[in-house]
Amino acid sequence: MKILLRCAARLYPARWRNRYGAEFDALIDDISASPADLWDVLADVVRVRTNDSICTYRAAVAVSWSTCRVPVVASFSAHGLVILLIMLATWSHVTTMPLPVVVPLPPPIPDAPPQITDARVFPGALTLYSSLPLQLPAQGDALPLYVASGVGINFLSLPDIGATYRQGSSQYRVWPGQALESFIVRRVLPEYPRLATAHGTMSVFVEYLITLDGAVKILRTSGPKPFTDAAKSAVQDWLYRPLECEHRPCEVVSRVEVRFDEKFARSAMTP
Amino acid sequence: MQDPAIFVLASLADGEKHGYAIMEDIRVFAGVRLGPGTLYGAIARLEQRGWIQAVKTCSRRQPYRLSAEGSQRLKEQLALLGQVVRTGTRRLREA
Repeated sequence: MKILLRCAARLYPARWRNRYGAEFDALIDDISASPADLWDVLADVVRVRTNDSICTYRAAVAVSWSTCRVPVVASFSAHGLVILLIMLATWSHVTTMPLPVVVPLPPPIPDAPPQITDARVFPGALTLYSSLPLQLPAQGDALPLYVASGVGINFLSLPDIGATYRQGSSQYRVWPGQALESFIVRRVLPEYPRLATAHGTMSVFVEYLITLDGAVKILRTSGPKPFTDAAKSAVQDWLYRPLECEHRPCEVVSRVEVRFDEKFARSAMTP
Repeated sequence: MQDPAIFVLASLADGEKHGYAIMEDIRVFAGVRLGPGTLYGAIARLEQRGWIQAVKTCSRRQPYRLSAEGSQRLKEQLALLGQVVRTGTRRLREA
């Protein structure tokens, strides 16, 4: 039995045998061994070896964790970053997609009207404009009212074209009248003031604002009184479609010259 | 009260002893015979905790003695056991 006990003692881990092996042999020499002692030693061998395995495993885990920490953290960070980028891309893609907006159709643009201002008023002008919409006279007539009324309009070349001005909380852009012709809905030409006493040609300058709804508001005029009143009352009846600057509604300022020619006007008024 | 560690500590309370002496002492005062595996398992744990210390010797039979911490622990454990014994005895008497 003592031989079996010594054999069982060899099953202890080397570390244990180095520490307690000699005195354990001495103990076995001293005791009267029994099978219960053999089972007792075997049970303790199992316990010690189990504890050693646990300690070894813990040490191995600690070492592997410390060595694998950097790559593990890097891997987690990379995956997290990729997922975050995908989420951000998806989110911005979804949120920035423009929603379908039902835009009301603009009013129909009338056909290009005949130039029915009096061409004689601006003999050298390249652009002469008409009143819109204008009911064409009966067939055979030659638009006698305006063609020979001695009144014409001419859009000025603006030195500050495209400039943006701010006035309080509102802002407006300067556009030449020619560029606004595709937006015109209604135009009224001035009538020669019947009570005017001036002779020759008379030019009146009108600066006007096209508001957000397309209506016209006179900002300032220059010229003799009866002619400015005639030009003002006509221009403020103009109507445009609402204008947009860079896809946003905006107000626009333009300037126009209205020229009155007394000679042609008088000839039109006399039957 | 089958904890071999407290038996070993109690055995070493009156002086240093080697393994076989501890085993015989315990058998005498507690009536419990510890197997060699159980005895050295307890000795290894107590020495690891610092509650007993090996005494230098040239003999194969390694004697051990109680350390100061082991002595303190033994006092605490015996006080606890004494409290358990007194409470149990009183309750048995009152029952």
